[in-house]
Order: sequence, then C-alpha cells, then structure tokens
Amino acid sequence: MEDKREITFNVLCFNPEVDEKAYFKSYDVVLEKGITVLRALNYIKDHVDPSLTLRFFCQAGICGSCAIRINGVSKLACTTQVWEELEVSKSKDTITVEPLRNFEVMRDLVVNIDPMVEKLKKYKSWVIPATKDADLGKKECTVMPEEFEPINPATDCILCAACYSECTINEGSNQQFISPLVMLRAYRMNKDTRDTVGEERLKVLVEDHGIWDCTHCYRCVQSCVKNIPIMDAIQGLREETFARGMTNSEGARHALAFKDDTMKLGRLNEFTLPLRTLGMFGAVGQIPFAIKMGLKGRVPPLLPHKISTRKQVQTMLEEVERDSKKSH
Amino acid sequence: MSYDIVIVGAGGGGMYAALEAVRRNPALKIAVITKVYPTRSHTSAAQGGVNAALANTDKSDTVDLHIFDTVKGSDYLADQDSAAYLCEQAPILIRELENLGAPFSRLADGSIAQRPFGGASKYRCCYCADKTGLTILQTLYEQCLRYGIQFFNEYFLLSLEQEDGVAKGVIALDIRTSKIRKFEGKTVILATGGYGKMYWHRSSNAAGLTGDGGAACLRAGMALKDMEFVQFHPTGLRKSGLLVTEGARGEGGYLINNKGERFMSRYAPEKMELGPRDLVSRSVETEIREGRGFDSTAGQYIHLDLRHLGADLIKSRLPQIRELCIQFEGVDPINEPIPIRPTAHYSMGGIDCNTACETSVKGVYAVGEGACVSVHGANRLGGNSLLEILVFGKRAGMEAADLASKLPAAKISDQRLKDQEEHIAGFYGKNQAERYDVIRTELGTSLADNAGIYRSKELGEKGLSEILALRERFKKVKVADHSKTFNTNLMQVLELGNMLDLAVCVAKGAAAREESRGSHSRIDFPVRDDQNWHKHSIFHMNAEGEVSLSFKPVTMGKFELQERKY
Repeated sequence: MEDKREITFNVLCFNPEVDEKAYFKSYDVVLEKGITVLRALNYIKDHVDPSLTLRFFCQAGICGSCAIRINGVSKLACTTQVWEELEVSKSKDTITVEPLRNFEVMRDLVVNIDPMVEKLKKYKSWVIPATKDADLGKKECTVMPEEFEPINPATDCILCAACYSECTINEGSNQQFISPLVMLRAYRMNKDTRDTVGEERLKVLVEDHGIWDCTHCYRCVQSCVKNIPIMDAIQGLREETFARGMTNSEGARHALAFKDDTMKLGRLNEFTLPLRTLGMFGAVGQIPFAIKMGLKGRVPPLLPHKISTRKQVQTMLEEVERDSKKSH
Repeated sequence: MSYDIVIVGAGGGGMYAALEAVRRNPALKIAVITKVYPTRSHTSAAQGGVNAALANTDKSDTVDLHIFDTVKGSDYLADQDSAAYLCEQAPILIRELENLGAPFSRLADGSIAQRPFGGASKYRCCYCADKTGLTILQTLYEQCLRYGIQFFNEYFLLSLEQEDGVAKGVIALDIRTSKIRKFEGKTVILATGGYGKMYWHRSSNAAGLTGDGGAACLRAGMALKDMEFVQFHPTGLRKSGLLVTEGARGEGGYLINNKGERFMSRYAPEKMELGPRDLVSRSVETEIREGRGFDSTAGQYIHLDLRHLGADLIKSRLPQIRELCIQFEGVDPINEPIPIRPTAHYSMGGIDCNTACETSVKGVYAVGEGACVSVHGANRLGGNSLLEILVFGKRAGMEAADLASKLPAAKISDQRLKDQEEHIAGFYGKNQAERYDVIRTELGTSLADNAGIYRSKELGEKGLSEILALRERFKKVKVADHSKTFNTNLMQVLELGNMLDLAVCVAKGAAAREESRGSHSRIDFPVRDDQNWHKHSIFHMNAEGEVSLSFKPVTMGKFELQERKY
C-alpha cells in the first residue's frame, strides 16, 4: 500500500489585477509519498484551483524555472520532496510556499527576473574571445585541464536565482547590488583563458554595488541548488583586482587598511579605517553615522593598543599570503 | 512591429540562428520570441554530449564514419544529403562554439575530450561532464546578450502567418498581459522544440515540449514529416518519466515484476536486463499489460531493483542515479526498488524541411527537434540531437539573413489578429465544461497504449479514434482562470490543442506504416520492409481539421540499404 498523508499548503498569492497585497491561501490535499513540491502544486492547480500561478518547465532540476521559497528557503520545487520537507521543517503537515525575494511579484509564485538579466548585461557576462570573427570555427583553442578546472564549477549555474533571492546585500541595497550569480559569471569569464576583456569587466565590477559590497554572509552558498562555491568566485575576483593593481577603489583600500592594521596591531583601528577606505571627503560623510554610533555608546578607542597575541596573528597572515601566492 | 527575421524558440537552435544572422548582417532587425526564458529551454536537459569527428581522442575517426553511423542509426530513413551536411559541419560548429567560450571537458593536451556513445563506431562525443546541453545553452545565451539580440520572453506562438506561400510573420500572445500581437517578419525561423510531451505522464520531456511550431504549420497548411517516429526509453521514473540510465542495469540491476520474478528471463534469457533498449521496453510494457505490474496513484510500473548490489557499490558507481531517485521519486535505491516504466523521450518527426531548413513556404525555416530535416530518420543516434540544433540553427540563420535582405517588409492583416482573439475568447464561453487535465491524461494514456512501444494496425486505429474523440471534447474545454495576468491555465489549454493536432498525425502514421523500422515497432509487421516502406510519411491538415497522409522518397547517397545490426 502507498503511504499517504493529508498536507496543507499555504501559498502566498497575489494577482495585481484584483489584490492590493499578497495573502496566504490554504490548500488541503492528500498526497502519496514520493511526490515533489512541484507535483503537489500542479496537483492543486489541476484539481483544486486552476488560477494558482507558478512557473515550471523541465521538472528535472536543470532549467531553474521553478525556484520558489519553500518554508522560507529559496530552492527548486521540482527537486524538493514533500515528505522530506515535512521532516526537516517543524511542522508535521504544513508547507509554506512563497515567491522568490528581491524580485517584483507578477502573480502568485511568478516573479519578474528581467532585472537579473539586465545585471548580466551590465557586467558583460559573456566571453569576448581572442579568436577573430573571421577565424571562428577554424581552430580549437587549447585549454589545459588545469585551466578548465577553475571555471568548471561556475558553469553548473542554471540561473535559477535562488542565490539572488537569498542575498542579504541585494535586499539591503534595494536590489542595486550586483548579486551572487552575476559575480559567479564574472569570475568564470575572467578565469577563461579564451577571454580578452577581464580588465574591462573588472573595472565595472569594482564600482559601487559591485564585488566589494558583499559581506560574506554565505547565504548564496547555502542556498545554491547546484552546490557551487560562489564565495570562492567572489574572493577570486577580489584577488584579481590586486593582481591587476586595481587598488584604487573603496573596497580594495578597505581590504588593504584591514590587512595593514591586522599586521601592525593584531586588530583594527576603527577610528582611522574609514579615512583610509573612503578618503577625507568620504570619511566626512560618515561623521553623522559616527555620532549616532557614539550616542549609542559605540565609540572605538582613539589609539588602539596592540593585542598580546599579535605575533600569532602575523604568522597566520603570512601563511595565508604564501598560500595564495602558491595557488596563483 | 516589423522585422527581417522572427525566430520562435530560444533553445540552442533558435539562439544559434539569431547569432549567425546578426553576425552575418548587423543591420537586420531580429526578434526572438520564446514562451520561456531562453536558459529554461529544453536544450539544457541534454546531458550526454555532442558528436563531431574531431578525431581528438581517436585519430582514426572520420566525417564519413560519422555519416555512416548516423544513416545506419536512422535505420536508413535519414536523408543522406542532410546527414552528410550535419556531419561535415560538425567539427566546424564545435570549434566555433568552443572559440566563443563553451566549456568542453579537455584531454591532457588541452584539446576537446571525446567519449564513446551509443551507436557510434569511434570515440566521437564531445561533452562537458554531464551538463553538455546546459553549458551550450548558457554559452549561446551569453553570446546573444553580447550581440544585443532582442528577446521577447514569455510570448506564446498562436499562429504562423503566410500568404500565397510567402512568410508574413507570426501572431503571439504576451503571457504576462494576455495581449495578442503581431510580429511581422519577412522570414520566420521555427525552433520550437519537440512534441514528446503529448505522451504526458509517459514522457521524460519538459512540460512545454508540446509541438507548438508543428501545430502552427499544420494549421497554416504546411507539411509535417515522419511523425510516427518517437524514441522510447525502457526505464523512466514512474512519476516524472525522468530517465534512469542504462548504467543501473549495466552495474547489475534486476527488473522485477509483482510476482517477484526477474521476467527478462522470458524475453532475453542470455542477455537478461542488458538486452537491446527496444526489447527491454517491450518486455516491461508486456509485464504491465498482462497484469504483473505494481499499482500506484501515478499508474502501473515495475521494479528496477539495485538493493542486492549493496550500499557501497551504489554510492560509488551510481551516485547520480541514486540522487535522481531520491530527489524526484523519494526512493533511495539502497533501501527500496526503483519504480520504473518505459517513457517517451525524443521525437524524430517534425516540420518538413530540407537541408537548407526551408519549408514549403518561402521564408519559413524550421530547425531542431521540432523540425524534420531529416537526419535522425527512424531513430536518433545519441549525441546527434545537440549537433542538429547547432548545425541547422546556424544554417537557418544564414539562409534567413540572406533572404530577408532581398524581400519587402511583410504585413499581417488586423483581421488575423481578430481571428486569434475570437479563438481564445471561445475557451471562456459558458458552455465550455471539459477539463483540460482530464483530456491531457487520457491523451497520454491512449498514445502510450496504442501508439507507443507496442503498435499494430488494430491498436493504431483504436488510438486514432480515441484521439479524434478527445479532439472533439477539446472543443468544449474550459479555461477556468479568467485573469489577464500570467494566465498559465490558458497556456496549458493552448498547448493541449497543439498536442492533440499532432497526436492525430502520430497515431495515423503508427497505424499506417506496415513495417518495423527504428523506433516504430509493429507486432503485426516485425521486420523492415524497404520494398514498400522506405519512404517518408507526410502529413497535412485541411481547414476542417482532417489529417491526410502521403509519402515522399528518401534521399539516398553513398550508403546502400543494409540490415541494421549492432
């Protein structure tokens, strides 16, 4: 006998034609073991509510259409088993389904992903090859396996936008931030030995809302449906800015000041850090913020003392530097 | 809006066409309309690879061997001029794609790696791990963005417009707003994908492989070809139809019926589970039909049992199959048998066109799984489907670009727009009572039972009458969602209409062709009959919706007819 259960799906619905704001609709359905969230939603659409609106296509985890938030986490509906989801969530019989975050909702679970495409364009997410147009197709480029390996994981990306939805900086910047998947592409292009515009691409990448705005919360890595180490790509791009001597950006200056302090003091000099990152004018702009911090009692020491274990911190830093030189 | 080239579909074929056209003549106005975002297209699902006689891995490979393998694989139904073009262009296309950044797996010397593949006499298949289609699709999309190709995402094709045998463009529905609009085009390239989803719950295809381009052609009075040829795979997952690859049986998996028997001993006592694909498919189907399958909500199935292989072997040798079963079926093959049954996988037939992708209408081109050039004939060779979309996508882009610059602007009358509006309004009428999902499931069942793995005159005719009855019921089908915004319910109904028209062709062809060739296997005519049936099936539909069948000779070349043995 098949195992069956009664399950409630709470789906965040919104139709701009009639609704002022989104609201939850509840559907109670009896489902058998082995069913995915996508099949369950389609069962609801076919048998209960034909107006329920969602995207799906391949149903095989490779096209990325059906990314939604299931119990608060952005993932693919077609690869998520209902019973497993119930097991890991706190509820025994309820699954909450919402559209991806950081996009405008068009209807129910369907979001407008055009802004993501615009970002792909802005950051030149394509190879511009060394091969001239007239010579295309004549000769293979040689790509050694060790040159292929660094770009291999990034080419797993299916643009499902789960990371885009989960990204905290994307949210904090009102979606102005480059977003994880675009950085991943940029890294993949810049590492490609056939590409010719790495430096040009990097110049756009270090602008405002670019690679230096990421705060390493790792939400993108956690939510990636293909388990791509996205953070490695972000760090890789930052390292490349130094390798190319592109140190004249806020992010790069911040990183250098950070390293400098750590080397000298074993800790940060938070008082001078903004000055070195933002320059005189930029730092002046931070004064109201600093005053607010002060009023809350968050005042950094004017002359921070060196920490006692500074030597150990220095050794660690030197080790990291040697390692990264070796790997380049 | 008026364009030089309107491309329908943004999979590998459509995007290669756009890229070739824009590079050939940057002044051309090109529109690519697609019902899903380009990177969602089904090209992404092709895992295995793409054939090209580069002779990187095996220096003895040649283009001629590739042509021969393709013709032989097609059971001699492929047109040999098309097959030759496909294989000659293959190395150029793969290098071109590689030059543009496609990430192919590499040999130690840095050249493109190649591996063996079913039906190929040499190591010829270029690949990128198990994500070849995905990476090719992404590369083409990236390059289309680079060249500023204009995409109309989430537009649904309603009709192909032609006047006196000359292309005028297409009419499409904006899914986001339900507005119907014209895309006037001097030329039209149909890259709309296959029709395998008509087998619905018995198909591994994406939800949208509903033959939209083929159906539009039928309604425009154009011909479809070889529609009865549909490839099946013996071991699709019960619910999703996704393929559990031969690897599972290769490692020693058993096929077991509800009596606990390894039933392959009755059909292939020596080879058992490793018999040829079509034989295994028929055997599984027989077990189910004779009542020795298991029952479930998702229909009848049999067991592919790996448990005796042990957890260690399953984890080390079959990790992807295990993950597939866990994610899509909720079954861990270490603890439970995998529920499987044969599934429709690829459609060889499609819009009738020649090596230049030209159809019977001047300026209308067809490419990819939705087209029938024909290079796959009665049976497609693994690794040739990705190749087809690249080679003929490029060719269609080339042909359309050259023709468009010689033609005057095209016009579509407003009346045609009104016709489409009326057609759609009809689904909302108060006498519409039929449920789309019921018709869709019955269509899938009827096709699988009567025009699937098992075929005969009797079954084919039964299938045809059932499908015609479903098509009658479809006239009363209801769109229950009345919203204008992203109405996916309307899409499902329109897609079902397309599948029904094409299903009539499939069933008619399956009933008519009195031989067994490639994927078309008749129990009443078990052998190939070159005397009477070495010819293409051609399907037309009249204004009343009646489908007629005629035939057309196969283009031969340097390879004579031979028995197909492996």
